[in-house]
Amino acid sequence: MRLNLVLDLPDVPGQLMEALEPMGRLGANIVAVIHQRDFKTERGTVPVQITIEGDKETLDKVMDALESKDIQILEVDNVLRKEQISTILVGDIIEEDMQNTMAYLNQLEGVRVADLDLKMSDNPKNSATKMVMEADFGLKNEVLKKVKELGAKKGFLVINEI
Amino acid sequence: MKLMKIIILGFGAVGRGVARVISMKKEYLKSRYDLDLEIVAVTDSSGASINPEGLDEELLLQIKEEKGEISLYPHYGAPGMESLQVLDEVDYDCLVEVTPTDIDDGEPGHSHIIKAMQDGKDVVTSNKGPLALSFQELAECAHSNGVEFKFEASVGGAMPIINFAHETLAGCNIESIYGILNGTTNYILSRMANEGSSYEQTLKEAQEMGIAETNPYQDVEGIDAACKIVILANSILNLPVTLKDVEVEGISRITSESIALAKKEGLLIKLIGEASPDSLEVSPRLVRQGSPLDVEGTLNVATVKTDLADDVTVVGKGAGSVETASAILSDIISIWKTRR
Repeated sequence: MRLNLVLDLPDVPGQLMEALEPMGRLGANIVAVIHQRDFKTERGTVPVQITIEGDKETLDKVMDALESKDIQILEVDNVLRKEQISTILVGDIIEEDMQNTMAYLNQLEGVRVADLDLKMSDNPKNSATKMVMEADFGLKNEVLKKVKELGAKKGFLVINEI
Repeated sequence: MKLMKIIILGFGAVGRGVARVISMKKEYLKSRYDLDLEIVAVTDSSGASINPEGLDEELLLQIKEEKGEISLYPHYGAPGMESLQVLDEVDYDCLVEVTPTDIDDGEPGHSHIIKAMQDGKDVVTSNKGPLALSFQELAECAHSNGVEFKFEASVGGAMPIINFAHETLAGCNIESIYGILNGTTNYILSRMANEGSSYEQTLKEAQEMGIAETNPYQDVEGIDAACKIVILANSILNLPVTLKDVEVEGISRITSESIALAKKEGLLIKLIGEASPDSLEVSPRLVRQGSPLDVEGTLNVATVKTDLADDVTVVGKGAGSVETASAILSDIISIWKTRR
């Protein structure tokens, strides 16, 4: 059988090799690799399309190996596995402990903060942070709701994506 | 050719716009729809002017502009006459209710609309107050009295959304509606994004230009957009909700830092109203640059999510006297088509 994957790889040398390694090692046949470094995601990562062939058992082992290497699998056979969710928080961010906010989001099941950007203001109450979260497909509304709850608790203005 | 007599209650920007478009379109309406539209009474805070044979639109506009009081209309002025009394004493077919919006009790618009309906008259309004506070009551009153009740101009001025959803998208199940429903906040946020200016500074400039009101509270705190969300939720999604059911966050806490962070990722911050069976909300949201919601200046935009047609988006001028009056005229013509 055949499996079409879209992986989300950091744009640094060696990442593609790292992703292909378990495929060769476990005996899956690589049919196609489309790797265009010019096309990047908002976060600067490179989506790579890979098609592999093999029996079901081999392909399952490959998927397990990719996951254990923490390689992000965005799509399997055109089905989205992860989606990105952006949010901006405005408020007294340092005071309210950015780390605590991230830890709260990271402990949500199927969610991880993938990118963080901070802009401090002269008035600390006007500081802003943008977070990009990766979540298992279908969790988006739930995650945005949790961010809003957190914002309400900490007095942040929450600007979620539509 | 048939005659349709209308009364205009309220002669502010929208009321004057209605008189202007009737004057402009008089001949067109006769030839296109066989409709002779006649204004038989107009009121403002000074009283009324009444002529059962029809008032002259241009003279109405001239008197209002020069003297500020409609009751000074030559020979037909009625100083101090109350609107409800006008509705009692004048023979008419359709009420155009365009008095100022009041979001505390919806008055005097609410009483005007109820009275006209109980007297068996059709009603067209742009007044958000009565709709946002007691939509179901008004809709039931119209139904039980067998009259037409139209309010396209109450949401998004000239942007067609209510009749569009009902008529053009007829047959589609509408799942949700979201969009930018307030031009003032869109203007402020667009300027902040383009110029990197602060909220306070941009608001001040918008006030100087007459785009933001001296008291901008209802616009910038999202109340105006929330009223429109209530109207859309009731009229398009059949949700029996009122203003208190909407979760509202305005734009006064938006900083230039947050706008800069969004822009870096190709995103814009817009004040978005959203109505769906799961959510009634007005809040600043992230919108992708180049998406249908990326409209500048005082424009309004609304996206309707449907089962058959997927997403359909409309854009239009959210305010302006003649623009808003165009929506009122289209409601009047639509009533005319059902009645004749």
